[in-house]
Amino acid sequence: MTSHHLLPAAALVAACVLPAALLAQPEHAILSSPTGSAVVEVRIGAVLASNSGTEFDHRLASMHRQFNRLFSYTSYQLVKEERQRVAWGGRASFEIPGGRYVVVIPREYKNDRVSMKVLVIEGARPIIDTVLSLRDRGTFLVGGPRQADGVLILAIGANMVD
Amino acid sequence: MTCREVTNLLPLFFDGELDSRQMRALALHSSRCTSCEDELGQLEGLQELLRTIINERVDEIDLSKIWSAIEPKLPARKISATERLRRWWEEAAPRWDMRVPAFAAAAMLAALALYFMTQGRQPGALPTAPQVAIAESNEASIDSLETEADSVALMSDPETSTTLLWVSDDSIVEDVGP
Repeated sequence: MTSHHLLPAAALVAACVLPAALLAQPEHAILSSPTGSAVVEVRIGAVLASNSGTEFDHRLASMHRQFNRLFSYTSYQLVKEERQRVAWGGRASFEIPGGRYVVVIPREYKNDRVSMKVLVIEGARPIIDTVLSLRDRGTFLVGGPRQADGVLILAIGANMVD
Repeated sequence: MTCREVTNLLPLFFDGELDSRQMRALALHSSRCTSCEDELGQLEGLQELLRTIINERVDEIDLSKIWSAIEPKLPARKISATERLRRWWEEAAPRWDMRVPAFAAAAMLAALALYFMTQGRQPGALPTAPQVAIAESNEASIDSLETEADSVALMSDPETSTTLLWVSDDSIVEDVGP
């Protein structure tokens, strides 16, 4: 690569990385502070994704990029958002559309990650029974269960309580 | 729920005849009770045996021509903005006179975005409508995964550090989804 190739590339890297690095600082400050809290906040968002309409719920603005990259639906509506504080080893149960349930059992906080058991129960069977870990305030997605004329996308996460 | 109640409900469980409340209670109990989990596992093993036999029969069927029959009927794939940008980049490779102004514009936009975003983070800023929050890194480590669905796909998007479990509950080809 010649020098006239490098100059614009460096400009692009600086333009993208510098703002991201600056904006990231406050979040890192939170994540790096250990907490010995006895409770953890479990949160769930149930999103109805479909190709009926083109509305994107403004409450999902922070997830716009993720949804655009992972899915090709035209409409995203937040149909439920709920948070529950539970003790470690306790269970947080959430009723979601379609007569389904989500049960989250936070297990431990280790290496800046929250370990939890997650059950997604549909009708008469657990369609997901998993143990996973993710960063404090992180969110992982479960998608696919059919709902109305689209599918449900579940955003599940846990926040450490100071 | 007691172990006896679970044992009585297991046949109904596998027949899909429990209501959601009973199902939930049974699932919770089984996730914490070793003996009930074992009993559930044995019944699942039986189901698995049946499934294996069926799959062996299915394997004998020639499925090689199915995709060529389905593919022409699928809608065109939606191309993401990043993919369009990447293609434009590759096509414009020899024309640096176009790229330099584009870089300048991108840098200005990034600076403007930084300005407005940091303004929004100042203490005392007006509260905004509640939003579903998402952290910078959402990569999840999956330690174990079991499912009763037909199939589950684990996807990870490195660009947004997002982990997705996609549950597919039938074999119908959909025209939407990831």
